[in-house]
Amino acid sequence: MEHSTAAHVHSPSEASSERPSYYEVMETAIQELLIQKQLIGAGEIRRQIEVLDSRTPALGAKVIARAWVDPEFRSRLLANGRTACEELGITFYDDTKLIVLENTPKVHNLIVCTLCSCYPRPVLGLPPDWYKLPPYRSRAVIEPRAVLAEFGTVIPDDVEIRVSDSTAAIRFLVLPVRPEGTENYSEEQLAALVTRDAMIGVVPATIDTARSRK
Amino acid sequence: MNQSSELLTRLPNDIGGLPGQPVKKVDHVLEPWEKRCHALADVLDFHKIINTEEKRRGVEDLGSEIDSVESYYERWITAFTNILFQKGILTPEEFARKMDEVAARYANPA
Repeated sequence: MEHSTAAHVHSPSEASSERPSYYEVMETAIQELLIQKQLIGAGEIRRQIEVLDSRTPALGAKVIARAWVDPEFRSRLLANGRTACEELGITFYDDTKLIVLENTPKVHNLIVCTLCSCYPRPVLGLPPDWYKLPPYRSRAVIEPRAVLAEFGTVIPDDVEIRVSDSTAAIRFLVLPVRPEGTENYSEEQLAALVTRDAMIGVVPATIDTARSRK
Repeated sequence: MNQSSELLTRLPNDIGGLPGQPVKKVDHVLEPWEKRCHALADVLDFHKIINTEEKRRGVEDLGSEIDSVESYYERWITAFTNILFQKGILTPEEFARKMDEVAARYANPA
């Protein structure tokens, strides 16, 4: 993917005027054969696309903001990420377990999937390309401070960095430290400070992120 | 350790801890077929036809040459096809016929 991701970025207008690629034909062929054999339902792919489209980092941000304002929810979230998210109406469409990792003034958490691209999709949506590419996957576990510095994040030497490697069955989400100066923020205002990258652990949540949300 | 045993003890996906390039913060909006491919992966998992770990191994089984030229979702759909053959769910022949049919339909839309 490192070689071809950039080459496969087309604008929508290009994509629609082009003949479908070999792989696009392949995807259609496999889908149609499985439907013909009644192994999958005709509407299932379309419905799952709707599910995928409904998942964005705004869901994770809602979870984090609730944990910042409600200590009991925070405890439940840290005890069982999945059931706490489900309390907020976030359904898990897969069989994964969710472990929420709490950042503190002494511990900074970072998540990665060294083998491929496992990610807490039900609460964050699909991962960014850089998360799936070799540089992040190979280096996050061996030189996290250098990797974090590439995101502009400098963690003091007296703060421990814990890197958690996701698997097909176990996914992680970082609970960032609540930014200072947000004592009077509403839950909604707090949620606006929580970015995707803060929940991966490559940046902190800050008051500034409300404007430069990714 | 010599080169062949190195290949044995560290399969292609197992890159954690290896040196690497600086992280470039790249991303792209999925093309419609890529999103369909992602949804297909989820549906295959729901029906226990191909689970997430089988998918990952299927991608690893493509080998380093294909891995280095195919994009992320190109690898996925290639791996699904191979796994469906291996499980006897599809035959290469019916797949080849369907590929021709779909390609012809795209070339001559009704």
